[in-house]
Amino acid sequence: MKRRDFIKNVALTTASVPFVSNGFGMQAIGEKLFNFSTGAEDRVLVIIRLNGGNDGLNTAIPIDQYANLMLHRPNIIIPQNQILGLTPELGLHPSMVGMKNLYNQGKLGIVQNVGYPEQNRSHFRSTDIWSTGSLDVNETKGWLGRYFDSYNPNYPTNYPNASYPDPFAISMGSEVSATCQGIAANFSHAVSNPNNVYSLYEGGFVNDGSYYGNQVEYVATIIGQTNNYGQVINNAANAGNNLSGMYDAANSLAMQMKYVAQMISGGLKTKVYVLSLGGFDTHDNQADSNDLTLGAHKPLLKKVSDAIAAFQDDLSLLGLEDRVVGMTFSEFGRQIASNASLGTDHGDAAPLFLFGTCINYGVIGPNPTIQSSIQDQAGVPMQIDFRDVYASILKDWFQVPSNQVQQLFSHPIQYYTLAGTCNVGIEEMALKKDEMLLYPNPCTSYFTIRVLLEEGKTQAELRDVNGAVVMSFFDQHLSSGLHEIPCDVSQLPAGNYFVVLRNKEGIRSHKLVKTK
Amino acid sequence: MSLTPYSGAWTKSEAAHLLRRTLFGPTHAQVTAVSQLTMADAVNQLLNIETVNPPVAFDAGETIVSPGSTWVNAVYPSNPVANQACEVARLKSLSYWLMYNINSQGMSINQKMMFFWQNHFGVALSSDARAAYTYFELLRTSCLGNFKQLIKDVTLDPSMLLFLNGNTNSVQAPNENYSRELLELFTIGKGDQIASGDYSTYTEQDVSSGAKILTGYVVQGLRSATLTAAQTLYLAPLHDTSSKQLSYHFNNAVIANNGAQEYSDYIDVIFSQDQVAHFICTKLYRYFVNYDITNAVETLIIPELAQTLINNNYDIQPVLFELLTSDHFYDVALRGTIIRSPLETVFTMLNSTETIPNVNLTTNANIYMTIYYANQNMGLDYAAPPSVAGWTSYYQLPSFSRLWVNSTTIKFRFDMGQGLLFFGIPINGYFLKINTLNFLNNLSIPSDADAVIYDMCELFIPKALEASEHVGLVNVLTNFLPTFEWTLQYNDYLANPGNATFSDPVRQRVELVMDRIFKMPQFQMI
Repeated sequence: MKRRDFIKNVALTTASVPFVSNGFGMQAIGEKLFNFSTGAEDRVLVIIRLNGGNDGLNTAIPIDQYANLMLHRPNIIIPQNQILGLTPELGLHPSMVGMKNLYNQGKLGIVQNVGYPEQNRSHFRSTDIWSTGSLDVNETKGWLGRYFDSYNPNYPTNYPNASYPDPFAISMGSEVSATCQGIAANFSHAVSNPNNVYSLYEGGFVNDGSYYGNQVEYVATIIGQTNNYGQVINNAANAGNNLSGMYDAANSLAMQMKYVAQMISGGLKTKVYVLSLGGFDTHDNQADSNDLTLGAHKPLLKKVSDAIAAFQDDLSLLGLEDRVVGMTFSEFGRQIASNASLGTDHGDAAPLFLFGTCINYGVIGPNPTIQSSIQDQAGVPMQIDFRDVYASILKDWFQVPSNQVQQLFSHPIQYYTLAGTCNVGIEEMALKKDEMLLYPNPCTSYFTIRVLLEEGKTQAELRDVNGAVVMSFFDQHLSSGLHEIPCDVSQLPAGNYFVVLRNKEGIRSHKLVKTK
Repeated sequence: MSLTPYSGAWTKSEAAHLLRRTLFGPTHAQVTAVSQLTMADAVNQLLNIETVNPPVAFDAGETIVSPGSTWVNAVYPSNPVANQACEVARLKSLSYWLMYNINSQGMSINQKMMFFWQNHFGVALSSDARAAYTYFELLRTSCLGNFKQLIKDVTLDPSMLLFLNGNTNSVQAPNENYSRELLELFTIGKGDQIASGDYSTYTEQDVSSGAKILTGYVVQGLRSATLTAAQTLYLAPLHDTSSKQLSYHFNNAVIANNGAQEYSDYIDVIFSQDQVAHFICTKLYRYFVNYDITNAVETLIIPELAQTLINNNYDIQPVLFELLTSDHFYDVALRGTIIRSPLETVFTMLNSTETIPNVNLTTNANIYMTIYYANQNMGLDYAAPPSVAGWTSYYQLPSFSRLWVNSTTIKFRFDMGQGLLFFGIPINGYFLKINTLNFLNNLSIPSDADAVIYDMCELFIPKALEASEHVGLVNVLTNFLPTFEWTLQYNDYLANPGNATFSDPVRQRVELVMDRIFKMPQFQMI
């Protein structure tokens, strides 16, 4: 039985909860991240790190802010007629044809203005923050490493084993990923070429508990794991294949993604693959003064876009699309104003991309607002906390119960529905594609719906957790476009509610938490 | 705990520890020699700058100077295609030079400290091979000198100006790239973020003001067909002449316009904060002693080193002398704490065995380029650190040097050792191979199997092996025969020089032992 069918059946038998997309009826298939079953249901997360701080404003370009952007970055801005439009308000850098096609196919999501409070503009500190999913300087474990740790406190001792024969995560290349750093070791296994068989000498030794003893034990463990994991990876590579002809051998990221697809298709049960591409620290020559669509930024974005498009094409041909979602991240965006070197300096928030058939495609969050006059060194203000993106992925994609997700993060999580479309159980929810944002959430007395709508009659209501209507607060004919619908909930008791919005496109719902 | 001088027994064990940490692979002869000196004499010998010849041309792309001559003061071809080919040829020559220098190191900490600074500044060198050479020479010749002066020199060095956009930082459009890293990574270091834009030791305002202070410099002569060097020029119209306000972390100092000397005024102000000494001494400690800055190290060792640095007006050499002669440095609990870098791995295999190939110019160049690429495969691209912070193994909590080894890089390490021992690594028809017989003959008692294993382990492994592992290695050497059989075999080989019938069995046993040692987890530590 396919995942979607299975969930449908669960949903139909619990029809008294009509429109909750997440967190219900899922216990039976919960904790997917650690439930290494051998079926085809296993879900995989692919993370692509854009190392150096990607200039979001020249990647997903807010067309409705173009006039003011022109004031601040005239020497690097992409000419308006070259932008690959996704919506009337937002478009992509002209080199990102592959990702534009994915957007049109409903396989690309853009989460806007992602960052964290009190942006730190150091590459290193900010990379630490993004890798750990924490603003605490003393946190040394990665966000995925913490989760792996919570289930595998003794790792790496006695791993791999019969229950966990495969690496938890694979980092493509010669470095392990800081996102997977656990207490005692890193959960990611570095792989440069899965077709290469490893058989390394394993010595004997006794750890005397000294620094030296611990280092020796660590290296011995790495050697043992290299042999053991190397063999299962190699078996998967031999069993797997690629079907897409879109991989460009000159694109290093694409070739790494090709290996990832090969390993997934070969049955490797690894849950997370981490890849990275460097060069995004474009302090100079980001654009070419003769042609602003050229310059250092272009080949980087083209690599990312082409690689993701090829990978998605491959997954589609391999019949694996419903098992994989992907996400990009970068340690920060860049400043709104360009510098005189045809480049941009370290900034704040930036868009993040999601890809796959199971993601909530489209644009999540509003465009940044660019004023005509900005402060020196101004960046794009953060609106969506990246930690909430991580948390939502864990919850949506790996079906981790929200109380467990919360334990991994020190801030109160606000969930977004980011990778939930393959969880949808009932027909009306299948219509829901565009994201609906509620803010603030949790709220105390007021919240606002932000939503992109087609023209027509639009109704909004608040329901309790049993599905009963608490209040209907909106019923109007709206034009097509972005709308903000405020709601006063100051008279309601604290608790969990669902905001339900209907128009001719269908029904959208989102959980709302009201606090005192 | 303190930095009182070490007063325990000075044996080969201490000598080997000192040399493993300060050289890239000591020889048995060096360990023996140092064990016969006083500790202070040994450390003083190490703290010197060597004489190094400049890189020489060998590649056909070099069309300006003849093979064997240096290009470091030569112009480039004016034709763009020839110019590019020439640059590629010179960069190859530079990688040859970098690796050759480590391979031919003497009793000097020079190469180890040069790499310390290469990691510290993290400059990726790409614009002009001559500028890259002068930058490396600056690091090499200044590596034991004055830290403040080094920062000043690096600030105006063409390679750094190009790397962190100092060359396009002007009053019209400040570029804060260098200004930020100067504080965050090069001098005072970044502390916790205690308020918006305030990193405990400096603020965003300092980054912004610093960028203005550092305006006015451009680089000229890059790959020029007429100029024999890349040069830094100060252009007054590009300099911001306003007064620059620093934050309370620098006592609200105001840096007044001082044209071409203003950068120096600013660096003096930064160095007036003792935190600068604390920051660099912590980094030196991690490089030479241990990654773990325990509370005791933080409160007792680092402040003492920092005070020595300040007392010596930021001269590095006295700090290293104090550290390398301290009781703390020779503490048995702090031996073997560091996992070898790729350079320490590769050059231990080569240098400790005195494998210094010399065939002909082109082949030599190709050999050293191969060695350069081998390091690259293991995660260390000497002239192109992964970021301006250098290699993660020197700063990333909690793993530090553990980040050198993973399933990919450990395999490269093993392959390298195996290649050097058994088949030889093929390069231009030449096979780069360790001369194991020569290595064996230079050990203290080559005919004694036990002594051979002790000598090898003393060189290659930071602490004595378990008895069972020692016996295991002896058995590999003797092929499980009684040890006297080894003595007979070795003496037969000595008595029949040039006769492969006798030398081959000896050579093969030594190769097998060394292969096993190179693959032991213990070998990965220094």
